[in-house]
Amino acid sequence: MTDVANRAPAQPGPNDPTVFASGFQEVAALPVGDLSPAADRSYSAPRRVLRRPWVVQLIALLILLAVWQYLTVAGDRVPSIENVVSFMWTEITGGSHGGMLLGEFWGALGLSLQRYAIGLAIGIPAGAVLGLLIGASGWVRGLLNDTTLVLLALPAVVWAFLASLWFGLTSTAPIVAVVLTAIPFVAINLSSGVRGIDAALVEMSRSYKVSRRNQIADLLLGGTLPNALTGVRLAFTTGWNSLLIVEWFGATDGVGWRARFWYDALRYEGFVGWVFLFVILITVLDRLVLRRLERRAFQWNQKPTLSFAEDWGM
Amino acid sequence: MATVLIENLTKIYPPTITYPHRVQALGGVNMSVTGNVFVAVLGPSGSGKTTLLNIVAGVETPTSGSVRAVHNGVPAQVGYVFQEPRLLPWRTVLNNMLYVQDRKSDRSRREAEFYLTMVGLNEVAHLYPSQLSAGMQQRVGIARAFLVNPDLLLMDEPFSHMDALTGRSLREYLQRVWLHTRKTALFVTHDVSEAVELADRILMLRPGGVVFDDIPIDLPRPRNPDDPAVRSVERDVLRRFDSMEAAVRFGAHAQ
Ligand SMILES: Nc1ncnc2c1ncn2[C@@H]1O[C@H](COP(=O)(O)OP(=O)(O)OP(=O)(O)O)[C@@H](O)[C@H]1O
Ligand SMILES: [Mg+2]
Repeated sequence: MTDVANRAPAQPGPNDPTVFASGFQEVAALPVGDLSPAADRSYSAPRRVLRRPWVVQLIALLILLAVWQYLTVAGDRVPSIENVVSFMWTEITGGSHGGMLLGEFWGALGLSLQRYAIGLAIGIPAGAVLGLLIGASGWVRGLLNDTTLVLLALPAVVWAFLASLWFGLTSTAPIVAVVLTAIPFVAINLSSGVRGIDAALVEMSRSYKVSRRNQIADLLLGGTLPNALTGVRLAFTTGWNSLLIVEWFGATDGVGWRARFWYDALRYEGFVGWVFLFVILITVLDRLVLRRLERRAFQWNQKPTLSFAEDWGM
Repeated sequence: MATVLIENLTKIYPPTITYPHRVQALGGVNMSVTGNVFVAVLGPSGSGKTTLLNIVAGVETPTSGSVRAVHNGVPAQVGYVFQEPRLLPWRTVLNNMLYVQDRKSDRSRREAEFYLTMVGLNEVAHLYPSQLSAGMQQRVGIARAFLVNPDLLLMDEPFSHMDALTGRSLREYLQRVWLHTRKTALFVTHDVSEAVELADRILMLRPGGVVFDDIPIDLPRPRNPDDPAVRSVERDVLRRFDSMEAAVRFGAHAQ
């Protein structure tokens, strides 16, 4: 060995920046690129307004209301917008629908939301554990993957009927239906996320002997978070559906039951009003909570939205 | 400082659906590397360089033969700079660094920032890999390898994705850092001048994964690639490389 090679190595450390002082300056000056945001593409002022998301949504809503109004006028089966709104106002404020029949809203809503929340609070973690196991273990995959796929393929209405059959007219039936609908959606998305983790990253982790804890937190959970959220979003929407179906067919309370009550009473403005509320509720939940979470989880992968029409100047 | 001992190492990839033939990536490699040396593994594309490093790093298993990479009798901690950056896309640069550390303490954060500064990337510590250029991502990979205080540095053409200017200053920098740490290093490259600039010893691999030549490089450090002495050694190594190519081609014709 040469003289140089036998010299004791100086150990540089983070508290000893002078060691690298000479070379450091040079390398630190390497270009890192312009970090300021690029300019937006330009449209004329009216077109820019038309492109704002809330304007687009407003237009969609107006079209919907116009179609509704048309259907009211054209046939006699569709209650008018005014009727629905005034009916729901009576329902919400607890006023009289005629005689002794009083409006009922908050009690039913509270009860249904409670069942929904309990169902999701059980179903989502259970689905997550199942999904991670299916994704990470070939043995569990062989055992449960097909079963989970079958469960996924069953429509929410089947769960709803089964749950009412097993548990009768109790609060248990809707909760169980939400749980059973949520589990396969979360599980399948999460397991495919685990299987989609790049083998090169697994190799990297192995060569660096990365701790089990970091591998679980950063590689497994970090890498599958977007899939998990997609699954959760689907669990929220389909879970709500099956809750409504159970309450419709097999309950004596809750919002689904209330909608059916008015349907059976031939008060279609009540039925339509409740259905509208269901839609509004799930849309608000999706917009305000789930999509935001999803966007946050995907922020490492922000690609510009591809729009052919905009590329073509339309 | 690690000792790497490789005996009769072969690696044969089994046939696959798309390529129904066995592929011999390594055909009996023998080498021993010990002490504070920087060894370049030089070979043309497909000569098994990446396979060799993967086996030393323990991410791939040999078909036959033995590989040991030890430090004081225990398996050496490896710092591996891959041919591609291999960063977690969903973690920031800083968190990618912290990923390879056991504990995410203030101290490990300072260490991570220190090595990021070393490769000129402290400013982008909070960006995601997709927001960096390919060269910048590779520099994160280099910082990560030094961060684990490795006994053995494995580098797989770390500069091949960079523009020549960035590659040049990083090579110079790597040389300086290495002179201070003197970690045992296995550096894979197909670039003769890179090998001569950095290495104490060049192992030449020929296609089929066999060591063709083992060339000591006795040049004083730090080395300047424009130095005539470096240039002359480079020409010499290049000639041997050409003779290997010729031998390989002649062998192919003879069969
Ligand atoms: N996973 C694999 N499955 C099958 N064959 C493989 C695999 N990995 C590598 N090979 C084959 O083994 C041989 C050596 O590959 P290797 O990647 O080690 O070469 P290399 O010297 O690193 O090349 P390069 O300079 O292009 O990176 C090649 O013929 C390649 O096709
Ligand atoms: Mg390679």
